[in-house]
Amino acid sequence: MKRSQFLALAAGAATVPVLAACGGSGSGGAAATGAAVEGEVEPRAISWLLSRPADGAVISIMEQIADEYAAENEGFSLELITTPDRPSYIQKYETLAAAGELPELFDTDATPFAAKLAETGQMIDVEDLLTQFGILEEFRPAALDYQRFDDGALYMIPLEFGLEVFWYNTALFEEAGVEVPTTLDEMVEVCETLRGADITPIAVGGQDAWPLERYVAYQPFRIAGPEYIQELKRGDAAFADEPGTASAEWLARLGEVEAFEPGFSSVGYADAQAAFTSGKAAIYNMGTWELPNLATEELPEEMRENIAFFTLPVTEGSVTAENEYVAPSGIGVAVNAETYDPLVRDFLEFALGRYPALYAESGLLGPTTVDPVIPENALPIYEEAIAAAEDLGEATLMPWDTQLDPTTNSRLQQELVLLVQGDVTAEEFLTTMDSTLEENAPRYFEDAEG
Amino acid sequence: MTVLAPTDPSREGQTMTDTAPDASAPRAPRRGRPGSRRPSRLRISQVVSRVLIVCVLILQVYPFLWLLQTSLRDRQDFAASNPFSIPTELTLENFARALEQGSLLRNILNSLIITGGACALLVVCGMAGAYAIQVLGFRGSNLVHGLFLLGIVVPVQVALVPLFIDYSRIGLLDTYVAVMIPLAGFALPMAMFLFLSFFSYIPRELYEAASIDGAGPYRIFFRITMPMSLNTVVTVVMVNAIFIWNDFIFANTFILSDELKTIPLGLQNYIGAMGNTDWTATFAAVSITVTPLLLVFLVLNRAMIYGLESGASKG
Amino acid sequence: MLPHRSRTSVVLFLAPPLLLFGGGVLLPIVQSLFLSFFQWDGIFPMEFVGLENYRRLLFGDDIFWTAFGNQLLYLVICLVLQVGGGLLVASLLLTITKGREVFKVLYLMPAVISTPAIALLFQRIYGGDGLINTMLSAVGLDALARPWLSDVSTVLAAVSIPEGWRFLGLYTVILYAALLAVPREQEEAAALDGANAWTVFTKIRFPHIMPVFITTMIMATTYALRGFDIPFLLTNGGPGQASELVTTYMYKTAFTSGHYGYASAISVFIVVECLVAVGLILFSLRRKDA
Repeated sequence: MKRSQFLALAAGAATVPVLAACGGSGSGGAAATGAAVEGEVEPRAISWLLSRPADGAVISIMEQIADEYAAENEGFSLELITTPDRPSYIQKYETLAAAGELPELFDTDATPFAAKLAETGQMIDVEDLLTQFGILEEFRPAALDYQRFDDGALYMIPLEFGLEVFWYNTALFEEAGVEVPTTLDEMVEVCETLRGADITPIAVGGQDAWPLERYVAYQPFRIAGPEYIQELKRGDAAFADEPGTASAEWLARLGEVEAFEPGFSSVGYADAQAAFTSGKAAIYNMGTWELPNLATEELPEEMRENIAFFTLPVTEGSVTAENEYVAPSGIGVAVNAETYDPLVRDFLEFALGRYPALYAESGLLGPTTVDPVIPENALPIYEEAIAAAEDLGEATLMPWDTQLDPTTNSRLQQELVLLVQGDVTAEEFLTTMDSTLEENAPRYFEDAEG
Repeated sequence: MTVLAPTDPSREGQTMTDTAPDASAPRAPRRGRPGSRRPSRLRISQVVSRVLIVCVLILQVYPFLWLLQTSLRDRQDFAASNPFSIPTELTLENFARALEQGSLLRNILNSLIITGGACALLVVCGMAGAYAIQVLGFRGSNLVHGLFLLGIVVPVQVALVPLFIDYSRIGLLDTYVAVMIPLAGFALPMAMFLFLSFFSYIPRELYEAASIDGAGPYRIFFRITMPMSLNTVVTVVMVNAIFIWNDFIFANTFILSDELKTIPLGLQNYIGAMGNTDWTATFAAVSITVTPLLLVFLVLNRAMIYGLESGASKG
Repeated sequence: MLPHRSRTSVVLFLAPPLLLFGGGVLLPIVQSLFLSFFQWDGIFPMEFVGLENYRRLLFGDDIFWTAFGNQLLYLVICLVLQVGGGLLVASLLLTITKGREVFKVLYLMPAVISTPAIALLFQRIYGGDGLINTMLSAVGLDALARPWLSDVSTVLAAVSIPEGWRFLGLYTVILYAALLAVPREQEEAAALDGANAWTVFTKIRFPHIMPVFITTMIMATTYALRGFDIPFLLTNGGPGQASELVTTYMYKTAFTSGHYGYASAISVFIVVECLVAVGLILFSLRRKDA
C-alpha cells in the first residue's frame, strides 16, 4: 500500500490517504491469533536478513538446521542476506522496510523503529509463537526481557545471550595499588590513581559509539532504576533530572581524570580490545560474547594469569542490586507477518527445537537455560563468567541506544564524546540534550502511539 | 549552454590536439629542457622536480606497501605493536584465513562483471550522447545538456529508497543489472562531461570536410569521432572504473544474495561479533582484490599510449 | 551542427543515454524531490508538510549549518590537493623522460584500494602513537602531537586530507593527458623569446588546457560536495559535529533517524549547492579565459 502510494505520489498524482493496517498496539487481539496458521506446509525458499558475523556460531548452526530441514522438506531453502557491518545493515533494513520488501525473517533490536513495525502489524507476536511451540519456559527470562518493547510485548526471538562486565588487569591494578571499585564514585578514584601510575585506566572503542554510550546509562540505572530511560525517551523525564545530571557529572569527572585513552573517540573495537589484551589498558567493559578472545588460550600468554572481572559497581542508595546490570541477548529475529505461513511456522518450530543444544556446543551463553560446553582451551575465568549468569537479578539495564529515538540517540553519542573530552561542560551537555529530546522525542513516540 | 565547448583562441588552426600530439610525446624529453643561457639554475630545478616526483611516489605507494606488510603480519603482533614498525616475522596465515572465510574469487568475478558491464554501458551511452549533443546538434540540445549536467550534482544516497522501490516493482532486485544501471546512470553525466569536453578539441573543419565528401552521421561517428576518442574512452573508463569498483552503497542496497556480492561487500566477512574485525585477514583480502584492477590499469595504460600513437600516425 | 544529420540519427544516438539517465537517475531524483515536501519514516503513511522541511533546515537546524561550514572547508582541502596537486604533479611528470607511464599508474594506487582499508590506515596514522605523532616527537615537536581525530580543532582537516590525497593520481592522469596535447611549437617559441618556465605555464599551457581544467574543477568540486565515505568511516562526524558534513548528516537523517522527507530536503540543498558551485567555476574561469 505504502509502495503504490509512494509511486502515485512520485508520478505527481494526488495523495490518497491510506491508513496502514493497524494490528493494534501490544500483544492484543489480532496479533495473538497471528502466530497460529492453518494449512499445508508448502516448502519454498525463505530469506533471512541478518547482521551477524559471517563465520559465527549463529549462522553456521542455522545453516546446518536449514539443511536438515530441507532434507525432510524438498524445495525448502534458507537464503541468508548477511550484512555483518551494523550501519550498512541498518541502511538495508530500513530500505527494505520502506519498500515493503522485508523477508520472512529479519534481525532487529527492540528499537522504536521496530516497535512501529510491530504496531503496524508487520511482525508476528513471538511470545504467542513460543508459547504455542511450548518452549517459552526454556528461554532465560533476561534474554526475553531484553527483546521486549516498553509495554512488555515480545516480537523478537533471541538467539544469543551475554553479560557485560568490567574485565580488568590484576597486575596493573597491583602496580598502581588500587582495589576493585565497589561504587561508581570509587571507579573515578581508581581511574585517577591508575592514570597517576601512567597506566591507561579504561580501553573503550569510541568509534562504534555504543561502548561509550553504555557508561551514560550506569548512574541512572543505579539511582533510579530501569524506569528512568523509559520516561526520558518519551520526554516525560529530562536529562537535567537528578539521574541524568549525576550521569553527566560522573562522565565529566571520568574525563577529567583521563579515564579513557587519548583519542578514544576514533579507536575501533578491535584496537580497544588489543589495548586491553596487550596490557596497555587496565579496564575493559565488554560482554561475554568475547569470552573466546578474552578467557581462552587465544589470550596472549602474559595476560592469562592477570585477567579478572567485576560487575557494574553500585551507588549509595542504589535502587538496583549488584547482580543487576547489562545482560543483552543480542539482536533478535523478527518474523514478518505478511509472508508468515505454515512453512515459516513449521521451520521455526523445527529450528528452535534444535538450536539450544547446538548453540551450547559453541561454548557461549545461549538464550535458553541449556548450559554451554566449556571449550578445552578455556581459562578458569571462563567458567566464572558463565556462572555469573545464574546469579543475574531481575531488573534489566537496557542500553540507551536501543531506547532513545534515533535522532536524540545520534546527538547523545556525539555530545558524550565532547563531554568526556572536556569540550563541553556537564551543564551545556544537559541543555543540548534536553532541547534535542524535546524536539524529537514527542514527535517520534506520538507517531508510534497514534 | 556552451560550457563544455569553451572557445579557446589558441586552439584555432591546430589539428587534433587531443588525440594526436606528436608520437614521440611520451618518450621524448621535451619539457623543461635546459636552455643554453642558464644551465645551472635549470639543473637545480630538474633535481628538485625529480625529488618531488619521488616524494609523491612514496606518498602514493607507501600505503599499498603498508597494506601488504600488514597482511603478512601475525594477528597478535599487529594488535600489540606499532603498526608502522617492520614486522619481525612474516606469515601467510592471514591469506589462508581470508580465503577460507570469504569467497574472494566469487567476489572478484562479480566485481569484474559489474565494473565491466557498467563501464561498457557508460562508454556507449556517454559517447553516443556527447556525439548527439556536441557534433550532431539539435534543437533543444542545450536543454538536454543541462539535464545531464544536473545529474553531476545529485548525491546518490537519497535516491536509494525511491530506486529500491522502483526496482522491486519491476523485479530487478538482486541482479547484476540492478547494480550496473544506477552505477552507470550516476556516472553518465560525468562521463558525458568528459566526452563533451574532449570532443570539443576535434576541429569542426574535419567534420565539415567529411560531410562535403558525403559522409553521413553514422559514418562520421564510426570513422572520425570514435577512433579519435580512444584516449578519452580510456580516461573515462579509468576514472569511473575506480569509483564503480569501490562502490559500496549501491551494491549494499541492491544485492541481497551471497552469490552476487562484490568485493567491498565481501570484505565484511571478516567482521566478527559486535564489529570486532579481523583486520589482518581483511588486509590480506584487500591485497588479493586490488591486483585485478591494477592489472587492468596497466593494460589500459598501454592502450592509452597506443591510442596516442595511432592517432598521431593518422594525423 | 553537422549538415547531413537526420532526425533519426539524433534520436538513435540520444536514446540510449536518455533511457539510462532517465530511468536510473532522473526518476528517483524527481521522486525524492517530491518526498522533500513530506514527512515520512518509511513505515507510517506519508504526511504532506509543504515547505516545513525546508523551513526547519534553513532556520531551525544548528547541526545542518555546522555541517555546511565543514563541507566548505572539506571542499577547499580536496580542491587544493586534487586539482592543485594534480596540476603540479602532472607538470612535474612532463619534466622527466623515462617512466612517466609507470609513475602515472603507481600514482593511481591509493584510488584503487578499498575505502575501509584507507580509513583504517589513516586511523593509525592519526592515532595517539601513530605515524604523525611519532614523527613529530622524533624531530622534537612533541608539543604539537595530539590525537588528530579527536581534537575538535584538527579533525576536519584530518578527515579531508585522505580524500584529497586519495584521488590526486586520478586528476594527475587527466591533467597530464591535457598537458601532453599542448602544442610544443608554441612553448618552444616562447622559450626562445626568453620566457621562463612559469611564464610558459601561465601564458601557454594553462590557457590551453583551460577546458580540461574546468572539467576537473567541476569534477573535483562536485565529488567533494558529495564526499561521504572517509569521514563517515573515520569519525562518523564526530567528535560532536566537528567533522559532520552535509552528506554524512543527510545519510544519518535518512538511515539512522528514518526521516526520509527531511533527508530529501537536505539532498535538494546539496544539488543546489553543487549547481551554484559549478556556476561559480564556469563564471570565474571562463571569464578569465575569454
